[in-house]
Amino acid sequence: MFAIEVNDLTKIFGTLVAINKLNFSVNEGETFGFLGPNGAGKTTTIRILTGITQPTSGTAKIFGYDIQNEIISARQSIGIVHETSNVYDDLTAWQNMIFTAELYHVNKAEREKKSKELLEIFGLFERKDNKAHEFSKGMKRRLTLAMGLVNSPKLLFLDEPTSGLDVQSNLIIRDVVADLTQKGVTVFLTTHNIEEANVMCDRVAIINKGQIAAIDAPEQLKKTIESVQSVEVAFDKRGLEQMDELRKLPFVNEARKEGDKIKLYTEDPSAIIEEVMTYAKQKNLKIISISTLGPSLEDVFIKLTGLKARVGAAYVSD
Amino acid sequence: MSVISQNFGIERVLRELSAAWAIARKDMRTYYLKPNIIVSGILFPLFMFLAFAIGKNAPPGTLIPGLIAITLLFSASSIEPVSIPIERRVKTFDRLLSAPISLHSLVFGESLSGFLYSLGIACLPLVIGVILFSTSIVYALTLVVAMALTAFCFATLGTLFAAYPTENVGEVMSMLNTVRLPLIFISGVFIPISAMPQIGQEIAFFSPLTYGNDMIEYAYTGTSLFSPLLDILALLIFILIFQFVANRLYKKFNT
Repeated sequence: MFAIEVNDLTKIFGTLVAINKLNFSVNEGETFGFLGPNGAGKTTTIRILTGITQPTSGTAKIFGYDIQNEIISARQSIGIVHETSNVYDDLTAWQNMIFTAELYHVNKAEREKKSKELLEIFGLFERKDNKAHEFSKGMKRRLTLAMGLVNSPKLLFLDEPTSGLDVQSNLIIRDVVADLTQKGVTVFLTTHNIEEANVMCDRVAIINKGQIAAIDAPEQLKKTIESVQSVEVAFDKRGLEQMDELRKLPFVNEARKEGDKIKLYTEDPSAIIEEVMTYAKQKNLKIISISTLGPSLEDVFIKLTGLKARVGAAYVSD
Repeated sequence: MSVISQNFGIERVLRELSAAWAIARKDMRTYYLKPNIIVSGILFPLFMFLAFAIGKNAPPGTLIPGLIAITLLFSASSIEPVSIPIERRVKTFDRLLSAPISLHSLVFGESLSGFLYSLGIACLPLVIGVILFSTSIVYALTLVVAMALTAFCFATLGTLFAAYPTENVGEVMSMLNTVRLPLIFISGVFIPISAMPQIGQEIAFFSPLTYGNDMIEYAYTGTSLFSPLLDILALLIFILIFQFVANRLYKKFNT
């Protein structure tokens, strides 16, 4: 049996097709990533799978339970961590945990044991009697995740779990998710963070404009565009003109700035290296580092979604 | 029906009731002391009552049943129109919508918090009447039943209006007040129904406050327009209608 089975799932808001005939399945114990830019349909998919929103057409099953006719049975075995840290600010961390456990029908002894255990794991037990409005953004996120786990779910939905978090919270959350997958919990994760999907997921679905562009393991996805290779170079001096000049070199398909490095896309890395050496000599530049790279998940994502320019962490459509 | 499925049914009902009670307790902890609830649920009915009572020459004690009735109306229907839009805004309402409970339990749990709040608040005029004005209660049990049914009826009305899919408390309150304020004038609280024009008397039959107020009046004076049994029946019908409509609206607007 699949943990999640989705067939032709469609949601239309007015004239906007939020998701269009999605088809995919998630195996039990798998960490499945939904990777896409903002507005791609990731959160809509989670809202439908958890029964908050009704689909316009299509079907979905959670552990064999139909989400439209048997949603209460399906919800009993799932945990949900929403995109927003939706904790009750006027309740203490402990009260938030206990209330969530009560909603999921966890018995009294178990909810107290589980709440204590989870607050300890997330580093919040010493603050259990503090109201949530006293917590930082990272602490609220950790509390949200702890609340999502209080019913010991077999399937955990994580909507952008580490978006905008501090390093400590980010690491704790990634560790906990890794631990859950070790214990056989199925994780359905949405993210626009490519590295997060690459590191955490067994399989990734790339979704754009409500449609799935590809589903596979991150390494398999990279293989699909193996012709896209690159050379990354860093010079001792940086100038605005370097990008334009390097872009004009023979064999360079595209050039992008990556921090203090320049990434040159090519089908012939060895030829590019020679061209770069000659360029450096002509311009009296010292090469600090140069390396050849295979395609990254980001390259796959850009190729499959047709998104190109990168502004900060967001991708911009053509 | 087999014993197993009967047990499963009872277990399911108990689970749903337990979750509804958890929702009500959460609301008590979170919203009972919010300033806009205190204004809307306590101060508003008090000032409304004073505005009408001061001009009257009736002994203060005789005005207590009316004060209890409008206190129940305003306080019971004030919790959810405040709490639910706030919960939509901060996305905690998604927690309730995605929990393994039915919409019936969600609506019941939300109504329960307004009900309990209202009963607590309405005890104030009751106690003031007994202590300060020696207002006697003829049928105490009838008063308890009347207060409980009226409180639950208006708590459900508040939950029903809060189904409107907005994150703005003011929007829900405005809509609710277009119903609550006219109810005071057509339900015999300040003007006896028998003294109202024919059209007013006919409209009064469609107001749940008419029956709540009538039954409270009966509990205090022993006289009423309708039989207390008819009042109980009417209030139960209103509760069922409001619960049913609220369920439909939450399903329509929130899923």
